[in-house]
Amino acid sequence: MSIVPWTEKYRPKRIDEVVGNPEAKKAFVAWLNKWLAGRPEKKAALLYGPPGCGKTSLVHAAAHQLGLELIEANASDVRTSEALRRRVLRSATEGSLFGARGKIILLDEVDGVSPREDRGGLDMIMEIIKASQYPVVLTANDPWDPRLRQLRSMCKLIEFRKLGIRDVVRALREICRREGIECDYSVLRAIAGNCEGDLRAAINDLQSIAMGRRRVTLEDLEVLGYRARQMNMFEVVRQVLTAKRPEAAKAVLSMPSLDYEMLMQWLNENIPYQYSPSIVAIADAYDALSRADMMLGRIKRRQAWTLLPYALDLMTAGVASAREKPPFKFVKYSFPYKLRALSATKEQRDERMRIARVIAKTCHTSARKALTEILPFLKLIYEENPQAGRKLLKGLGISESKFAKALGLHVHTVRPSARARRARA
Amino acid sequence: MSERYSLELWVEKYRPRRLDEMVDQREIVERLKEFVREKNVPHLLFVGPPGTGKTTAALCLAYELYGEKWRDNTLELNASDERGIDVIRTRIKEYARTVPLSEVPFKLIILDEADNMTGDAQQALRRTMELYSRTARFILIANYASKIIEPIQSRCAIFRFQPIPKEDFIARLRYIAESEGVKVTEDGLEAIWEESMGDMRKAINALQAAAAIGEVVDADTVYKALGKVTPTEIRDMIKLALGGNFLAAREKLRALLYSYGLSGVDVIKLVYREVTSARSGLDLDERTRLELVELLGELNYRIVEGADDEIQLNALLAKMALIGAKRGRA
Repeated sequence: MSIVPWTEKYRPKRIDEVVGNPEAKKAFVAWLNKWLAGRPEKKAALLYGPPGCGKTSLVHAAAHQLGLELIEANASDVRTSEALRRRVLRSATEGSLFGARGKIILLDEVDGVSPREDRGGLDMIMEIIKASQYPVVLTANDPWDPRLRQLRSMCKLIEFRKLGIRDVVRALREICRREGIECDYSVLRAIAGNCEGDLRAAINDLQSIAMGRRRVTLEDLEVLGYRARQMNMFEVVRQVLTAKRPEAAKAVLSMPSLDYEMLMQWLNENIPYQYSPSIVAIADAYDALSRADMMLGRIKRRQAWTLLPYALDLMTAGVASAREKPPFKFVKYSFPYKLRALSATKEQRDERMRIARVIAKTCHTSARKALTEILPFLKLIYEENPQAGRKLLKGLGISESKFAKALGLHVHTVRPSARARRARA
Repeated sequence: MSERYSLELWVEKYRPRRLDEMVDQREIVERLKEFVREKNVPHLLFVGPPGTGKTTAALCLAYELYGEKWRDNTLELNASDERGIDVIRTRIKEYARTVPLSEVPFKLIILDEADNMTGDAQQALRRTMELYSRTARFILIANYASKIIEPIQSRCAIFRFQPIPKEDFIARLRYIAESEGVKVTEDGLEAIWEESMGDMRKAINALQAAAAIGEVVDADTVYKALGKVTPTEIRDMIKLALGGNFLAAREKLRALLYSYGLSGVDVIKLVYREVTSARSGLDLDERTRLELVELLGELNYRIVEGADDEIQLNALLAKMALIGAKRGRA
């Protein structure tokens, strides 16, 4: 069974399904419409920008939506002038085969045309543009290569930018939904953050992790050796916490790859370092952070994405609006404790949870309640009266050493109870 | 000597097996016995505060219906642990569609803490309840009926469990103490009653813990046991926060969250208990105490609505530091 890459399976079929880059989309559609009306301002368009930001997808979507036949040659094809002539020039000057309304000629990755192997390739491309009766679209990562100068002058230049992390997450989530995969939000964010705005890479990563599963967690990601990229958050945190005016704090939101959940963690960690000794400033800043967190909770639970702008505003301008901030001082910021602690104490927490589940089963209750309502009593009995404690553990089928380890007790240093001491005396 | 120690937690050892052994809840027990006689049970919804016998009633009903084979004919699920829609789709369906192994023509599915189910899961459950009602009957158990969607409520006979009256409550504790050969004083029982606020499970646990500490269970041993059950970090954290030492308070909070594994709401509840307890030694004037209570309520709400427990609780500690500073100035 062959596997369809999700990058192909979920390639957008309509222009409005293409993620991000609204200006570029608008410019491209305007250019294409002029062509279809018979009055092209430039015969070719050069779409340029980093990989995976939607250049090729936009052309595919436009062709599909407008019913145009797509003639495509990309970097994997040979692009000598002879090959181009055979494959592209003919169809660029002939009527459409399938009675489609017209065609789009797409030459992908023209900056990849090698001057040596694809001898005359660039010249042939320019010839195709001149002769074509149809719109010609070129794509490139770096359009400023000197060899492309002449070609550039024949094209309408349309810039694509790296996709924001939110756009990437949204696209990934949609794929998960359609594949019926339950994927933790944190996983999607980690994937998106790691791919630096390259949606193609992100989708490929998602597929390799999630295919054939029904549920993906952050642990799965780590098993695969996947590590969320650690952003240099220091500057962002500094800009927010030491902003003189709220707008200056809010300016960090214009960073394309800002991971706002990570920012929340960094602010949570560092507010007291920056704002002490002013308790008023600390309390105000945390209040804003707490309100932002409420918004994020609602977004998560109810997919209420319309609330995101408010959350972002609160976590930046809101935090920076704290009253009675102390005068500026240089503070060395710390990495969020929570992110470290959760992995450091994971083993112990897991063991506690395992024990809680055993108790829950015997006591007809939830693991959560066993953890908070029964385990503390069991611990107390074990500490105060080891004999009674051991017996209970035995009855529950819990190993004493595991129990002691999970609760941070030492098996051998448990002091005998008063009763046991008396019994011995 | 060691025979005097039980292999079982007393909450389980003394959980009633038969409907007649249940403490109080007379009308409910009568109705349930009626169902047993008819060998027919509608879908049931048991609602009421914790520790009033909801789960016990469900288990008793299972025992009365199927006798020793009750486990073969009963599926017990806890929605807090398995709250997703998947459980409904797979485990319940699979269980519900097979034929029962007894003369009773249906199986029992007990869904405890059902108010923790997601809305989606409840919707799925509602269809499952209809689809398999010939072969399976559901007992849903919840603290609040309002958290169960209307269409499910309308498919169930609703039983509201009342808090157990004090005399019955204390009589049960005394019976357990006697059976275990534990000496217990009146003020000891009184203390357990007060501290457990009508929750039988809590009370029995407290009794067993107090019995492990001292020869005689009196008010002192009870308070001592309960004091030890509450992590010391809670009281330290409150004192540090009110004293304006935010960073040190935050450290205690982190121990509670990441080493103890408590949830944000657990922490709030424990703080609330300390703030309102006369024995906490916090020495709060009434005005400050009320201010704290209002703050705790607000933060409880925010934790439920929010995404990150630590952020919300740090906001709480910072506000407590403010309140503490104000008190210092007054």
